[in-house]
Amino acid sequence: MAQLFSKRFSFWFQLCLLAVAISFVSWVFLWRWAMANPVGVHDPVEQVVPFSHKHHVGDDGIDCRYCHQSVEQSAFAGIPPLSTCMTCHSQLYTHQEMLAPLLTAFDSGVPLHWQRVYKLPDFVYFNHGIHVAKGIGCASCHGQVDEMPLMARNEHLTMQWCLACHRDPARHLRPRDQEFNLHWHAKDQLALGTVLMRKYHIDTRRLTDCSTCHR
Amino acid sequence: MPSMTPATHAAFEGRVDPAAIRVKLANQRGPRFWRSLEELADSEGFRAWLRSEHPAIAEAASLDRRDFLKLLGASLALAGLAGCSHPPRSQIVPYVHKPVGQVDGLPRYFATTLTRNGYARGVLVRNDMGRPTKVEGNPQHPASLGSTDIFAQAAILQLWDPDRSQSVMRGDSVATWDDFAAALTERVAHFHANRGDGLRVLVGPTTSPTLIAQLAVFEKRFPGARWHVDDPAGIAGRNEFARYRFDRAKVIVSLDADFLSDPAAGVRYSRDFIAARNPEDGGVMSRLYVVEPTPSVTGSMADHRLPLASRDIETFAAQLAARLESGGDATTISGYGRWIEAVARDLDANRGACTVVAGDSQPEPVHAFARSMNQLLGNVGRTVEYAPSLLANPANGDGSLAALTDDMRAGKVDTLLMLGVNPAYDASADMDFVAALRRVPHTFHLGLYFDETGRRAAWHVPQAHELEAWGDALAFDGTASIAQPLIAPLYDGHAAIEVMALLLGDSVDGHAVVRRQWQSQLADHKAWNEALQAGVITNDASKLNPGGASNGSATTSMSSLPRKREPGVFSPTPKSPRSGASRGVRNDGQSKGEGLELLFRPDPTIGHGEWSNNGWLQELPKPLTQLTWDNVVLVSPALAKRKGLRNFDGVELRSGGRALRGPVWIMPGQAERSVTIHFGYGRTQAGRVANGQGFDAYVLRTKDFPWLATDLEIIPTGERYEIAQTQHHFAIEGRDPLRVGTLDEFRTDPGFATAHDRYGEKPPSLYPDYPKADYAWGMSIDLNACIGCKACTIACQAENNIPIVGKEQVRRGREMHWIRVDRYYDGDGANPASYSQPVPCMMCEHAPCEVVCPVDATVHDAEGLNVQVYNRCVGTRFCSNNCPYKVRRFNFMQYADKRTPQYMAMRNPQVTVRRRGVMEKCTYCIQRIETAHIEADKHSRRIRDGEIVTACQAACPTQAIRFGDIADKASGVAKAKASPRNYAMLNELGTRPRTTYLARIRNPNPALEDGES
Repeated sequence: MAQLFSKRFSFWFQLCLLAVAISFVSWVFLWRWAMANPVGVHDPVEQVVPFSHKHHVGDDGIDCRYCHQSVEQSAFAGIPPLSTCMTCHSQLYTHQEMLAPLLTAFDSGVPLHWQRVYKLPDFVYFNHGIHVAKGIGCASCHGQVDEMPLMARNEHLTMQWCLACHRDPARHLRPRDQEFNLHWHAKDQLALGTVLMRKYHIDTRRLTDCSTCHR
Repeated sequence: MPSMTPATHAAFEGRVDPAAIRVKLANQRGPRFWRSLEELADSEGFRAWLRSEHPAIAEAASLDRRDFLKLLGASLALAGLAGCSHPPRSQIVPYVHKPVGQVDGLPRYFATTLTRNGYARGVLVRNDMGRPTKVEGNPQHPASLGSTDIFAQAAILQLWDPDRSQSVMRGDSVATWDDFAAALTERVAHFHANRGDGLRVLVGPTTSPTLIAQLAVFEKRFPGARWHVDDPAGIAGRNEFARYRFDRAKVIVSLDADFLSDPAAGVRYSRDFIAARNPEDGGVMSRLYVVEPTPSVTGSMADHRLPLASRDIETFAAQLAARLESGGDATTISGYGRWIEAVARDLDANRGACTVVAGDSQPEPVHAFARSMNQLLGNVGRTVEYAPSLLANPANGDGSLAALTDDMRAGKVDTLLMLGVNPAYDASADMDFVAALRRVPHTFHLGLYFDETGRRAAWHVPQAHELEAWGDALAFDGTASIAQPLIAPLYDGHAAIEVMALLLGDSVDGHAVVRRQWQSQLADHKAWNEALQAGVITNDASKLNPGGASNGSATTSMSSLPRKREPGVFSPTPKSPRSGASRGVRNDGQSKGEGLELLFRPDPTIGHGEWSNNGWLQELPKPLTQLTWDNVVLVSPALAKRKGLRNFDGVELRSGGRALRGPVWIMPGQAERSVTIHFGYGRTQAGRVANGQGFDAYVLRTKDFPWLATDLEIIPTGERYEIAQTQHHFAIEGRDPLRVGTLDEFRTDPGFATAHDRYGEKPPSLYPDYPKADYAWGMSIDLNACIGCKACTIACQAENNIPIVGKEQVRRGREMHWIRVDRYYDGDGANPASYSQPVPCMMCEHAPCEVVCPVDATVHDAEGLNVQVYNRCVGTRFCSNNCPYKVRRFNFMQYADKRTPQYMAMRNPQVTVRRRGVMEKCTYCIQRIETAHIEADKHSRRIRDGEIVTACQAACPTQAIRFGDIADKASGVAKAKASPRNYAMLNELGTRPRTTYLARIRNPNPALEDGES
């Protein structure tokens, strides 16, 4: 009996299969590239005024909450109104060129547009207030902000990363008075975490429910 | 115009055979409740419709394999193309100066006032970082007590409506406010010389003290000028206003009065009415008799309902009054003698604790009869108070629109300023306002929309929405409240008081004008701020005395009553020409032909046309008819049979030499010879939502007889209309979802509701129980309190960013409402009892939807919520298929508008905007649960009972819905569920729903029990 498929046909058929496989793989990569967050991890983001957390937090020692006022009460940590900047900068460095956009904005009443660094998808409802209340420090997610001349994202913000902590919060809990200290480290995090879990009444049964973050 | 091709699912609608229905009812076994005449007839078409889960899919499913693969390939390619970009970079824009008291990201609530027909309803409006996003009731306001109606909820959509007028128009060209101000000032300057002859102002019905004061100044400054009221609701001309205390009434007789939907006080009346309908131990259970020509929300709550033609209600009132006054036996009266006798005895036995209510559409004599009966029964000052109307009327001359139109036609009007009214649409046809307007040289229009009137006026100015402007108004009981803006005007709009200020040469600053008006009462800053914060002015002198100090004049004696000896020859004796003209009823006794009468009513969801362009209200199934997006001609089953009419058959209505065409809807409970049509449709310049929907009922309205025409002819045209009705959607087939008993049944057998349940509270199950958590969320819905107003549906829509889908999609059964209100009938089609049942997600503990989801997109959380995870959902719709309660809704298309900036600003930021291809459903307002959870967890305390209020619960005027932790036996919801009336829908399926119902209790009069219901 003659061969059902000729050699030639087999060749082309295999080539087609290969093409399909390659195009599938490239679609996947293209998709991943297209869906990637526009701000990469550890990539400093250019801003209209090159605001330096390193200078303000590291050198000057300004507390996080001086600017991010609603971080303990609200889902949103808060971006300072320009009047907060002007508490100092109405006097300091008023002639620096890099502050010109700030002064113009304050005088004209047209606000500055900051580039967003940390952005979660719309179906995720992260709440700063509850994390602060339950002993998660700023540095756990935002990293060593006091060493960043320009703000950069410190984490991928994937769901896996969120869940790692929600499944085992004890590894990240701090005493309430050390939350805004960017250089605090526990001597024995696991022992402390276990104590703090009880102190803060953290109930892990709910922490991985879909409804905790998605509405 | 509606298209006239045969409706696709109309096939079964023609097979309603009244004889078969009667046989079926006589041989009844199984459940006795029905949702529509088709279901009652159990036609084959209806069953086929019911069998498919999303019935209209069947039409689209004729796809062969080849086409399917083609589409699949195309959609893959397109999906790839669409992805060729990063997610957009987003920006954060901080304040320059932060508002005082603002915490970024937290909503704030402000008290303000919304008006309907001029009367105030106090509300609290949620403001999310400067954007008003949700309306709640103000617990301190007497017309709200914390609840709202559908119109207050829909005000948010009206505010953000992209079709609103956005610029000043001079004819067809865009102009500026300064141009308009210059033109108006220039016109007004002419009138300083001639005392104002030829200057007219037209306003809507108003109780605003500021506007009334301005109009008084206007009258003084321009003695020759006049102002008028455009009042399609026909209430402004009334001299007297009755205020009821239904919580004190044990027997209520409604003479065509839909008091539960009253524009001024419906929300309050609903609360009061239900307060006296508590069948449980120690509660009072009132009895409601309703006599009405066309079914209403109030009628659906009646213990006894008598369908009676509108023009016969006067006779009925006269006979009832005569029986009460002189005693005797009324059973000899033909037709409804037993009824009158039973009602009279009931009233007599409850003197001082009963009330007789006359409807707004009834003529003056019926009101006089009602009042005299209340007087005779000693109700005045107890269950009813009479007071002068709070609505403004001009001091000099006739303030009606008809008088204005006559003057316009006669050329007596030189300059006309129309403030927030649309007479070109809502004037009665015989006024011919449009023609009269052409004779006015200078016309100015202020309106929310560039509407029928705006386009015909020389100048049009955008009106500031009530949520954008300063103002004030009085509630039905005289309580004053200030309206404060929640946001700066989106389109540089101005309020009516600002345009009046301009006319009077005052400063055009609404805040200053209102502040000055209240200077004497709210002198200092503190008092003013307190009034704003509370949303009511507590030291208000204008408030009516609750004891009824105004009853001194209420001494009409029975002998001075208008008497109606013979039906049909009574001539109304109006108290004033105005009230007679606006409220009269044509009763010429020579109705020709078949003696049909045509009734005019405001549409239950879009009113007189002021809400036409509101998609939420258009798509809300109208109470009782369950129709959306259209108005129809309501006819009785008997008339339909005589004329050979089926639902959605076209008819021509002829009256007074004019005619209109529309589709028929056979309305169970409609009086045999009454035909009802609703206003608000047939708009031409309302906006994209409303234009071209339905027919314009004003075409047949006449100025002298605004509510009734007795010369009606109805002629079938042979056309068929396509109407979107949700009557059969999500029907729970052949089961027993509704439990109803009488008060006697309940007293003898309190557990009647669950007596026939096959299993106890916990049916056996193969699935393990969920582990206990800190809370177990649950809901209880009291069917005895549900009046079917559907405020819950709209509140849910506003809170949860639920999109509208449009008429075509509703016809396919794809409406998205998370809480629907089912309506059931019991009895025969001529006068059935009707019941409402709100159906949200049941949050089953053993949820059938969860086990069939291939991607775990619907799962349980620890506290018993059945959650839907949008980002996991791939759209198989298996869950919807497996849901016995049919509460799941699928985004067949991209229903949520993600492009229009106004809608983006309108939405609740706490709720995901769903995209095409995902399933959604009621979440018990999970965003509110989580917010409360976070607040409580921050302080490591428990969530208090009542801390979480779902959107439907908050809106419900009768507090029928209760929500909370059912594991906490002290919680309100647990107590409700402990009632013997508590039952679970489809309990036998073992789903263990967390949402349960309290059975409805009727309180029929034993004397009428065996007769009509």
